[in-house]
Amino acid sequence: MKPLTVNFRSKAAETLQDAQIQQSIEHVYTGFFKGRLEAAGDTPEWEELRTKGKAIKDHTIAHLDYYLGQLADNVEKNGGSVFFAEDAAEARKHIIDLAHKREIKTVIKSKSMVSEEMGLAEAMNDEGFETIETDLGEYIIQLAGETPYHLIAPAVHKSRTDVAKLLDDDFKEGDPVPDATELTMMAREKLRGVFERADMSVTGVNFAVAESGSIALVTNEGNGRMSTTVPRVHVAVMGMEKIIPSIQDLSTMLRILIRSATGQRISTYVTMVNGKRKPDEEEGPEEFHLVIMNNGRQKLLADPQMRESLNCIRCGACLNACPVYRKVGGHAYGWVYPGPIGAIVTPVLTGLKDASNLPNASSLCGACHDACPVKINIPRMLLELRYRTAEGSSDIEERTSGAKERGIWKAWRIGMMGRKRFDWAARLSRIVLLPIARNGWLKKTPPPISGWTSTRDFPLTASKSLKSRLSSRAKKAK
Amino acid sequence: MADRATFIATVTASLGRSEVLAPPSDTATAAFDDTATAKSNAEQAMATASERSSELAERMAEAAAVIGWKVHRVANQEDAANVIASICEQKSATSVLRSTHEVLTQVGVDAAVTNTGASIGTTEHSGENSSDLVDQSKTAAFKADIGITGVDYAIAETGTVVLHPRSGLSRLVSLAPPTHIAVLRPGEVLESLDELFAMERNDFSSGELAGSMNLISGPSKTADIEGTTVTGIHGPLEAHLIILKYD
Repeated sequence: MKPLTVNFRSKAAETLQDAQIQQSIEHVYTGFFKGRLEAAGDTPEWEELRTKGKAIKDHTIAHLDYYLGQLADNVEKNGGSVFFAEDAAEARKHIIDLAHKREIKTVIKSKSMVSEEMGLAEAMNDEGFETIETDLGEYIIQLAGETPYHLIAPAVHKSRTDVAKLLDDDFKEGDPVPDATELTMMAREKLRGVFERADMSVTGVNFAVAESGSIALVTNEGNGRMSTTVPRVHVAVMGMEKIIPSIQDLSTMLRILIRSATGQRISTYVTMVNGKRKPDEEEGPEEFHLVIMNNGRQKLLADPQMRESLNCIRCGACLNACPVYRKVGGHAYGWVYPGPIGAIVTPVLTGLKDASNLPNASSLCGACHDACPVKINIPRMLLELRYRTAEGSSDIEERTSGAKERGIWKAWRIGMMGRKRFDWAARLSRIVLLPIARNGWLKKTPPPISGWTSTRDFPLTASKSLKSRLSSRAKKAK
Repeated sequence: MADRATFIATVTASLGRSEVLAPPSDTATAAFDDTATAKSNAEQAMATASERSSELAERMAEAAAVIGWKVHRVANQEDAANVIASICEQKSATSVLRSTHEVLTQVGVDAAVTNTGASIGTTEHSGENSSDLVDQSKTAAFKADIGITGVDYAIAETGTVVLHPRSGLSRLVSLAPPTHIAVLRPGEVLESLDELFAMERNDFSSGELAGSMNLISGPSKTADIEGTTVTGIHGPLEAHLIILKYD
């Protein structure tokens, strides 16, 4: 998928002004957000689980080379094949070639963010394979010709009317709008025939178990189960970081993933497959292929400041918690991964130069860090990327901070270095700003602070500092 | 094209090393537990399941109801058969598919279903594996109105039924028909996911890991349209859990 990160500002502005989208996304995000808090609150050992989850991922990522080898060995031992793809293009080509070789007609896809990195569904359709997304949200998005809006709820921005238009060719503006159940049943009918005739499936991987070569898939709808059962060829695609060492680690990882994603204690279906159909099984694929993709992840791994982002288990909790994401929406981020996690991985994977607005799309409130089931310190990395944008890095040769900006910060630094200087600076700012203030507020200001006040008011410096007010209160009290 | 060696060498270099090192033993993961530890963890899990069977069955019933199972607590096998028959009638089922779980024979499920006028069959291939048989079994599963299974384990913490597909237990019997009925006996309920995965680890370390495993927690669900939860998308619209009080 081609990154469009450079359009962050215009896309964000578009979403902010769309009242309908604002309404439809708000209640879904708050629903997920509250669900996660309730699920965490119901789980007395929640903090312990997060600590364990982080420890498992820290250990795995620190020895990723070893576990990749172990995983590949065991998948092959189970009768599957493994393909290592350096980038999205290699992965895409491998899967398309395989589909040609096996004379595939219909491909069913379950949700996979890694396949979005490859732009796989579109590429396979272009090659003449009937390729259908089977997660209901993804199916709606595919019919609309769009990209997912959210890691867990891809069609969160679509209203029932939008969905009715996509599912029912006869639906016209002004017709009574079917309810969610009716629409879901329409999709069920359409997709069942597809499941029955599919001869290849492409799924993601929630966790790949190195010691046994198993993959675990978590779904509520059952499309993951259909995909691992009906077609004769099953292709699972994963980013190289999606490994855990032991089957037993799944109990911790499933608990934190599911609670963080939807607030459920468990998803309707957790499916574990150890390769293709075993001789004693009634059905299942004749072939199992695992595609392990790098696609720039080695840059995150090699970067001590950014490595922690590879602990991500793609639950979407940081998205739901983020006050900025909840307003600017998923498409503004311009690539596969939106929200706070997207704001740290996208710039490294696709280039900081075009994506430099992403790390700035945060108030640094820390809600994403609190929400993360594996405790990724996202705000620290946002600051690191802002620093690199301002001061230059391998991606951005020239520092983007101008002489004026650097001058302001230098003055700020000097002013903040001593109590007396701070008091002087505060008093000076009041004297300078008083003539342009109205009722204690600055509503319109000259440069260099005009940018700030064009969209919000700024309070005038108070006549007395908090410290002097407190000390005069203390004196009075005596 | 990237080969495995080049791919892994890139990863090793990104980790700042020149060769792949075996990780040191780390208590963060269960990967370093030896066979004896795995075995004793699994035995502990089974012991708990049998010592506290009635308490865990009750907790299972409560957790299952919360996530959308229609729970039927029955006193004996006859009542279980009656519940199954009444579901068949209610659904006007003509075609029923079942697994070969022992409990279904004990309950007398074949007679209960055929008495309602529906046909009942299993998906067992009797060891044969031709792709024709696999296709036949798929078609039968997609046509069936109801799928009936026992459980391999259940999990009280989450209200989950665990199935290890194998000969006599197809993957589709609990997935393709619009109604799934699972019959549970006390003693089959584990306390939590920890116990289940401790047992899976033991199966793995003793070389007996099943080909696949499904954790099923109620009917199929989606909330992809305006965040409204709807029951029944690709899997069953209705999921019934019959809990037998006595063996």
